[in-house]
Amino acid sequence: MICVDNLTKVYKLSKKQMVEQKTKKNMKRAVENLTLTAKPGKIYGLLGPNGAGKTTALRCIATLLKPTEGTITVCGHDVEKSAEKVRESISFLTNEIKLDPQFSPKYLFNFFGRLHKMEETAIMERRDKLFNYFDIKDFEDKKYEELSTGMKQKASIAVSLVHDPKVVIFDEPTNGLDIVTARNVTDYLKLLKEEGKTIIISTHIMSEAEKLCDEIGIIINGKLVSEGSLEEILDSTNTKDLEDGFFELYKLHNQEVL
Amino acid sequence: MMNGTKNIVKKELFRVFSDKKLIFSLFILPAVMIIGMYSLMGTLFENMMTDIETHVPKTVIQNAPLGLDETINTTGFQAEINYIDNDDDVINIKEDIRNGNVDLLIVFEDKFTDKINSYKNAGDPIPEVKTFYNPSEDYSSIARSNFVEQVLGEYQQNILADRLGNIEQLQVFHIDKDPSSSTIVNEKKADGKLLSTMLPFLINIMLFAGAMGLGVDVITGEKERGTLSSMLVAPIKRSEIVFGKLISLAILSSISAAVYAFSIVIALPLMMGGIAGDVMGDIKISFTLIEMLQLLVLMLVLVYLYVALVALVAVMAKTSKEANTYVMPVYIIVMLGSLMTYMGSGQTKLEYFIIPIYNSAISMQNLLIGELTSLQFVLTVGTTALLAAIVTGLITKAFNSEKIMFNA
Repeated sequence: MICVDNLTKVYKLSKKQMVEQKTKKNMKRAVENLTLTAKPGKIYGLLGPNGAGKTTALRCIATLLKPTEGTITVCGHDVEKSAEKVRESISFLTNEIKLDPQFSPKYLFNFFGRLHKMEETAIMERRDKLFNYFDIKDFEDKKYEELSTGMKQKASIAVSLVHDPKVVIFDEPTNGLDIVTARNVTDYLKLLKEEGKTIIISTHIMSEAEKLCDEIGIIINGKLVSEGSLEEILDSTNTKDLEDGFFELYKLHNQEVL
Repeated sequence: MMNGTKNIVKKELFRVFSDKKLIFSLFILPAVMIIGMYSLMGTLFENMMTDIETHVPKTVIQNAPLGLDETINTTGFQAEINYIDNDDDVINIKEDIRNGNVDLLIVFEDKFTDKINSYKNAGDPIPEVKTFYNPSEDYSSIARSNFVEQVLGEYQQNILADRLGNIEQLQVFHIDKDPSSSTIVNEKKADGKLLSTMLPFLINIMLFAGAMGLGVDVITGEKERGTLSSMLVAPIKRSEIVFGKLISLAILSSISAAVYAFSIVIALPLMMGGIAGDVMGDIKISFTLIEMLQLLVLMLVLVYLYVALVALVAVMAKTSKEANTYVMPVYIIVMLGSLMTYMGSGQTKLEYFIIPIYNSAISMQNLLIGELTSLQFVLTVGTTALLAAIVTGLITKAFNSEKIMFNA
């Protein structure tokens, strides 16, 4: 269970960043008053264009960033007060977090298993299961840097799930993957859902959100502008598919800013 | 607490020792380079010395007085000598000396022997021997000093003996007939003297250089590549990561410093052999067990401090390039601090021992000459450890800062 209550995240901009982003304000509100709940056995999809604040929100949930305002609890633990407890129960996958290029998937899997204080036998069992599912066995001893993009992503997902976490946070998990590997990943997410995990993903791929997510939150310019099941969002925007619905919302809310 | 640290140390060491290229560039290449470089320097120097020794200097002597050639023969001064007359022009010869074609020109004043023979009382004219040589040419300056010391010295002695009959009148008294019996030294201090000025500097530089090369990659490099954040989402404390990084860096820096030290021990005689066989000849350092332990402790806290300093710079920097730029001033401070052992000796003022970096250098210096007091040792280790702890705290703080870790 993830409860985000009134989350606001403000970045201070350096002079250089102010010039880059063509703004005179030295503060940037990446996320504003975001409230959402992701429940066990469901996949929550955070949908939004680039720079909308999806990654920032997920990073706050994963304890990497501290909320400026508001509170977040994961499995009942506050992300600020008991960050370590939160990290014990989550798997966090994002593009910016990469695995050491000089190590093999097998070594890294064992390494992170040990950081999670797992027994060697438990690590081995998990490894067998996950490496089989993602077909990693063939390249488990190759250095990470020698792997293809798809292999890398599969290895990263396997490593991030070493400790069988209750909560799974994946930031654009199928980004840059071919259709086969992407399907492999989304299928596994469904499997995790059936196991009763709480799952939250971010994506800008509409079809993925349509097929995968039980609940969708649309985030534009740091604000949650619509939330609900696919049907609810289509109803409220009076559209037939998510892409059209998204554009309705985008036109409406992006104008406010402009 | 220790679980995360232990695993990170293991992983960092595995990374280095499972990579043949890294082992080669970190540990083997420096050793080969040092030994190769020093023995090359030694060989070149030896060649140069032999070359100078075997060179026959071209010497021109103008207006040579009677009996000079005899003295030259008896002293065994080796030279290709060209005798010229008083009227001959020496301008061209001087030009040849400037160009290195001729090594030495000796001009005896006109009527040299007559003036010597007619000398009676104080104030009578004393003739001059003028030498022309080129100090920028090794052949020339050596030929000149040999000629002055051997030939002219002997020639003057002969004339004095003729004039006075008894040359001992000039000696008046002897100074140290047997110079070797004059020296009274503390063997340990004497042996440690040369090493005690050089070693602290070398140890400091080597420890820091090792930390510098590795630290930037292990911290800034990982930050750049995004691999550091993978550890930040693991359920361990930031301080565990910091300790893991610092301890593994300290281990690797110590190994690399040991490799440097070992190669220098092998290489130094190779170089010194070429320069002068006995400069280092009899130097032997003998340590008591306590002194060895003290040196070990000093080096351990120092290597940890250096690793921490490098890590602090590395964690603040956004790119490896930036880190390498920022770490240079720290390197220069370390060099200056340890270079100060070359200036002045036997600092005993207690307050010097609370200046970090400098105190380690003078403690090592005192240790090598057997004069390190317990108080000096404790102060040095204490201040170094305290500073290292503060720096470690700052690094942990930096690891907790989202601005520094995620540029957010």
